[in-house]
Amino acid sequence: MSEPKRWPGRVALVVAKKELLDLVRDWRTLVALVLVPLIILPLLFIALPLFLEGEIEELDSIQLNVVVQLSVADDFPEALDTLLQDANISLLFEQLEPGQGNLSEPGGDEERLRLAVRNGSTHAILRLEETSTNSTESWNYAILHDSTSELSREARGRLLDSISDWEEDIMAANLAEVGLTIDEATNPIRWDGDFTAADVSTAAESAGFVLSMLIPLLIAVWSASAAMQPSIDLTAGERERGTMESLLCTAATRMELLFGKWLAVAIVGSGAVLLQIAIFLAAFSFLLPAGFFGIPELGPVSILSLVLSVILFATSVVAIELALAVRARSVKEAGTTLAPLLMAFIAPALFAQFVNLEGIELWWFAAPVFNVCLAMREALLGINDPVHIAIWASTSVFYAILAVGWASKQFNREDLVESIN
Amino acid sequence: MGAPLLSVRGVSKSFGEVHALQEVSLEFSRGDIVGLVGSNGAGKTTLLRLLCGLYRPTIGDVVHHATDGSEHAVDSVRQNLGVVPESTGLYHRLTAWENIRYHSRLSGVRDSQAWNRTVRLARALDIEDVLHRSTRGFSKGMRQKTALLRALAHDPDLLLLDEPTAGLDVTSARKVRGLVRMLQQEGRTVIYSTHHLAEAEQVCDRIIVIHNGTVRADGSPRDLMQHTDTDSLEEAYVALTLDASREVSDAEVYGWFQRKWIALLSRFTARKQLEIEEVTEDE
Repeated sequence: MSEPKRWPGRVALVVAKKELLDLVRDWRTLVALVLVPLIILPLLFIALPLFLEGEIEELDSIQLNVVVQLSVADDFPEALDTLLQDANISLLFEQLEPGQGNLSEPGGDEERLRLAVRNGSTHAILRLEETSTNSTESWNYAILHDSTSELSREARGRLLDSISDWEEDIMAANLAEVGLTIDEATNPIRWDGDFTAADVSTAAESAGFVLSMLIPLLIAVWSASAAMQPSIDLTAGERERGTMESLLCTAATRMELLFGKWLAVAIVGSGAVLLQIAIFLAAFSFLLPAGFFGIPELGPVSILSLVLSVILFATSVVAIELALAVRARSVKEAGTTLAPLLMAFIAPALFAQFVNLEGIELWWFAAPVFNVCLAMREALLGINDPVHIAIWASTSVFYAILAVGWASKQFNREDLVESIN
Repeated sequence: MGAPLLSVRGVSKSFGEVHALQEVSLEFSRGDIVGLVGSNGAGKTTLLRLLCGLYRPTIGDVVHHATDGSEHAVDSVRQNLGVVPESTGLYHRLTAWENIRYHSRLSGVRDSQAWNRTVRLARALDIEDVLHRSTRGFSKGMRQKTALLRALAHDPDLLLLDEPTAGLDVTSARKVRGLVRMLQQEGRTVIYSTHHLAEAEQVCDRIIVIHNGTVRADGSPRDLMQHTDTDSLEEAYVALTLDASREVSDAEVYGWFQRKWIALLSRFTARKQLEIEEVTEDE
């Protein structure tokens, strides 16, 4: 047989290539890493808002029945009548029974309204009583409704909107008598000009700021979750299926096998994270006004920082997940072990989003997970503090070495050949 | 006897409180076909894993002898080793050839060379037409044969087979035995663990009986029968694997023996003037 070609990394590449082929043929991996983000994110950000919009339109088109109770039957204000007709509300007038404590007490209408809401004949009761004040018009009112009925809640909402508009008309009339408009009376100190025009940041900087609030968290969480399934399949899965023993009997060293597996998981995980971020940004931008999202302008140091932080973080995450998964003798056991680990990545990543970067203490840049999230935030904001970079880069390298060392130790375990079968 | 290939020197292997092998010393020569015979849990798989470097001895050492006389740790010479573990360990999302090619690539063998050798051996095992089929859904026999081809694709000097015919139909088992004989003719060394004494007698020049982690006998089938004063290898095996404490306890022989063993046991105990009080069958 031919002399083996033993250039460094050759065996690891052979392992990675085979693992990628194996993973691509696994429908569970494809569903978890590709199909779910392709379906779930657009569903969440595009289909759900469209669905809710449709539901609101459908609700608006329904005519609702409201009983109006007045102390004097024929003094219903014309302005309110017009507003309620415009709100697609049909009115039925009744005499307000005298002797109520206040208008909000349902009294004898409690049972009646409940039954009426159920059979759809009435959706709410509006009680109105004219009072005497210095205003041109003055009224007390209450709306009786059933909060457990969707249509009754809708009727209450439409009544409140119409009453608010009516109240504004009365206020305008009152203010007109003293020579004021509503705006002059309620808004004596006003912003002059376009609110957004006063922001001196560029579109690119704004984009960097918005992305700095999203991307580090998404990368941290999705890196951890995307690497989980392949990590389990390539380690505990191999043990469970009995393929690990024959693999360990080959001429490849355990470090070569580990590196090959790490490379495969890193490639699959990175691909999945990039796909998820692309779909997320595309779907998210659908919700925002056109032109809201710009492209951040990042300098070479920022780009380098961003890439380095992601690589170091991914190195640690994949190594930790491989190390934990390889200890398990079955896929189920590995899943149980790795699931809580996700929280260990999500919690600090979430916290790191709210840490104030102005005057931040240096130790934040040494804390695991926090350091890379903060590094990504600073990179997207174009902040290139050499002390910060030195701390997070050195600590991340240290954590990555620790994680890889631990994974290597686990991969050299003698009981790796044993499986539940 | 050929040149030395492997030496097991005073090896003991323990897993916590469990002593899987105790003070085992063995020599394997080039061209040997050696059968490791023993019951479940006797220590055969542990010995095979020590021979291929998957386990490290608790005491003692296992060394590989190069042709120039130098000695090496076994895990540094895996290039010359082909292993078929008890669980065949095939990737079911890959085809048979992809499984074989993966292992041969790990050994640095060119695909064309591995393919030529695989086709030749597949013909001998009668599975050349399934090489491009996914191994999902393969029968036990096809899986076992594919695992054998995988272990041989890089042309190793030493082959370690852990119960290669377990669960195989008669025809498949026959093909595997035929392949082992073919390898012997090519001058390769095969260490072959099995439960089947008849098979061991048929295939192996030398049989090592392992029981409760110790080597009870090592020799040709004829040597074993002469040593135990028995007429068949089965009787010899029973004689060799009876615990000493039970042999002298005058009567109590409780066992796990299956029905076919009872007759053998009766004959043996009669010869040794022992009395069987009760035989229970393990469920």
